[in-house]
Amino acid sequence: MTDTVNDRELDSSVPAKAGFGRRQFLVGGGVAAAAAFLLSACGDDEDDASTGGQTDTTAAAGGVDDAKIAEVAAGLEVLAVSTYQGALDAAEANKLGAVPPAVGAYITTALSHHKEHLAAWNGVLKSAGKAEVTQPNATLKPTVDTAFAAAKDVADVAKLALMLEDIAAQTYLKAIPLLKSKAAIRTAGEIQIVDQQHAAILLYALGMYPVPEVFQKTDKAAF
Amino acid sequence: MSIDERRLAELMEESNDLHVDAMRGIHESIPMLTEIREERRKDGVDTDEIERFNEGRRKALKTMGVGAGGIAARGALYGSLGSIFTGLLASPAHADKNLDIQILQTASSLERLAINTYNAAVSMNLGGIGDVTGTAGMVIKKFIETTVMQHDEHRKGFVAQTTALGGKPQDVPNRKFQAVVDKAVPTLKGPLDVVDLAASLETVAGDTYLVNLSLFEDTKSKEIMASVMGVETQHLATLRAVKALLEAGAPELIKIPIGADLAKLPAVAGSVAFPNAFHQIMDPELIAQPDTGDVK
Repeated sequence: MTDTVNDRELDSSVPAKAGFGRRQFLVGGGVAAAAAFLLSACGDDEDDASTGGQTDTTAAAGGVDDAKIAEVAAGLEVLAVSTYQGALDAAEANKLGAVPPAVGAYITTALSHHKEHLAAWNGVLKSAGKAEVTQPNATLKPTVDTAFAAAKDVADVAKLALMLEDIAAQTYLKAIPLLKSKAAIRTAGEIQIVDQQHAAILLYALGMYPVPEVFQKTDKAAF
Repeated sequence: MSIDERRLAELMEESNDLHVDAMRGIHESIPMLTEIREERRKDGVDTDEIERFNEGRRKALKTMGVGAGGIAARGALYGSLGSIFTGLLASPAHADKNLDIQILQTASSLERLAINTYNAAVSMNLGGIGDVTGTAGMVIKKFIETTVMQHDEHRKGFVAQTTALGGKPQDVPNRKFQAVVDKAVPTLKGPLDVVDLAASLETVAGDTYLVNLSLFEDTKSKEIMASVMGVETQHLATLRAVKALLEAGAPELIKIPIGADLAKLPAVAGSVAFPNAFHQIMDPELIAQPDTGDVK
């Protein structure tokens, strides 16, 4: 396994959250803060710190609508689809060296899953009268592009995939308490589970324990 | 072939550190929850909550196939244990308890059942699980030890939340599924049966928690349960992969770290852990209703 892509570096390169950490989110009126961030993430204001500071309880009471969360989720899924597709293309072009059968099967399976996840969230948006999301999460894309460009083998790609799966699964976990529609909660939960399971198999493939956390965290969530 | 015990120990240590950090987060939120408790105590019985669950369950039964698809799928899900997990008729939640508390108590009861069952698998050598030799045996033993620790922390988290909402802590195994386990244990003939039983219990927990996410009124309870759900379903993913390797006659590939043997893993190892793009509840009878584990 090469160290071309270092997972710790990747972790630290994931853009910092909106001026409040996980603990602050949990303890300090996090629902309202996250709701406000989601509103800003969907186009109002990029000033994360000020967004958190300006949050009031109105945001939580009025609530971020499910469509805003669906937009964030769809942006992550576009990024996952493009990354896995890139990995598949690279593997087929023999740019990643020898690809073990299990890794090949994983990439193909995960790609199809994320395509379905994207379709689901775009379906939510469409039914809400919103435009479908076709562009990847703009905040994460540069980090992913850099890591992908540096990937030399399947281990590098697996580390990148693990980062994406962690971000996605944690984003869904963080979104669940904010979603209002029971159908959306269910969809987010079903995808959270599958992304966590993707992560477990990636951890195993990378030589790590597949269930490393006692409680799933949200510190890498996309909002 | 010997397991890299030092590396495995390091991984366990890292896992423990993560756990301490996570528990700290949960404990920090408890004071806030006690304020909620006082408000909730005044609420009394909420018949709407009861109807929420019962309606949700009716829909689950209707849409997830107690009909032909659900029944047909059930046999294939849990190997030889399939018939034991069938025929569990659900009863509706009772209108005499706060539903959120009932859900949390039942979650505690599922965690207690999982802890007891995993421990019994080792202490009683169920299905000869303790006789699995070599790398696979050591990894399975470590997996059980770690999983027991994780389930116990989940139990503690649910108990703390139950108490924060004004409920009584539950530390008795789930009534409905204890009966299932009792019936299954004498039928365990080999390690695969034990893996099936463990996978079934993880499925019960994961599916129950997924359904509960739409039933909770309390946001913190929802956060905790979703967080635990993400871990239980990783247990399930691991067990599915272990099962696939045992069935493929490749127990030597059950090793951590896998290292260069990654190349030897059969293709199925890359997909068996997640059979669908969306996690599916294959059998609504494997959901633990809130009154199956509440404190009477």
